[in-house]
Amino acid sequence: MTTPAPLLVSKPAEPLALGVDLPMVDQPAVPFIEIETLRAKEFIPAAKEALGSLIAEQGQAKVIRPVFNWAGRNSLFPLHWGLACCAIEFAAAFGARWDAERFGVVPRSSPRQCDVMIVNGTVTWKVAHKLITLYEQMPEPKWVIAMGNCATGGGPFRTAYSVVPGVDKLVPVDVYIAGCPPRPEAMLDGILELEKLIRERKE
Amino acid sequence: MQPDDVSRVLAPALGPKLLAVEPFAGMAGRVRFERGAALELFPRVRDDLGFRHLSMVGGIDWVDHREVFYVVWSDAAHQYLLLSTDVPADNPRVETASGVWPSANWHERETWELVGIEFDNHPDLRHLLTPDGYEFRPLLRSFKLHEPEELEVKTRHV
Ligand code: SF4
Repeated sequence: MTTPAPLLVSKPAEPLALGVDLPMVDQPAVPFIEIETLRAKEFIPAAKEALGSLIAEQGQAKVIRPVFNWAGRNSLFPLHWGLACCAIEFAAAFGARWDAERFGVVPRSSPRQCDVMIVNGTVTWKVAHKLITLYEQMPEPKWVIAMGNCATGGGPFRTAYSVVPGVDKLVPVDVYIAGCPPRPEAMLDGILELEKLIRERKE
Repeated sequence: MQPDDVSRVLAPALGPKLLAVEPFAGMAGRVRFERGAALELFPRVRDDLGFRHLSMVGGIDWVDHREVFYVVWSDAAHQYLLLSTDVPADNPRVETASGVWPSANWHERETWELVGIEFDNHPDLRHLLTPDGYEFRPLLRSFKLHEPEELEVKTRHV
């Protein structure tokens, strides 16, 4: 078998000037780098064929998706808005005492920079369209947390004339937090619940 | 300012359309007038009596009729005055006060959507607190608390 012209031939290394005689190793007949090149030439197409389908099927599920989920759940940016009294607890959760930022949760003022909408208060029919608009402006992937009894099911105003009985009538909700209002700990617990959901996320 | 002072200024101009000026706790008085006299009354209350600030407009459902009331404030007298008029329940309309006191605009929108009082010649009678297309008049006594499933709210995207 004639060896094809090597792409790149390494120069024999200069003997090191160490002052001692190192035992000489024979240079192989074909330089090392050339062997690697040959191997690669045969190996890569075969590997591509074998791995191609594997990567397509498994790489997404085993590598890319977990990395995405890991990054996503550790940098949840909620929309910085407040609808009613629950917003006070929402705000307190970002203060020094509860410090939601240690979970990577930073409220952002623009829906374009957000991936989770925390509906923290009473949703009235008047604000319903604005809520939907804000939700639609958020880039995928996105999640919704219904914080408090009002957002979950209308709360104390369930029978009122102007209140949406639960924000799940308007947008899909991933996590519900009970309480009127829920304490900041409960809100953080809801965020950790959402992180569990994101960890399981497949597509 | 006493109810007598109010009636001394208003009575000659309005005549029988001024029904009564009664004492009212904490205010200069309560002026009851025929609803057709609204446009004669309001400028006089503002200019002759000096009540230059309209503090609120509201409506009350008394079942057999409805009442529209206006609370006005005078800086000079440092007093409130209550103006009120009765409107029939089947035709609850009254002239707008927003030409005299511009601040009446939003109050009348609110009174219109919650109590169902129609304000003639209002520049912009749209929903203020309830969504566009909302059909109920929730502060009327005939409006009952609903289970949410029973209340079909229609809204428009605006
Ligand atoms: S659940 Fe309670 S605290 Fe939260 S917005 Fe509703 S009424 Fe206010």
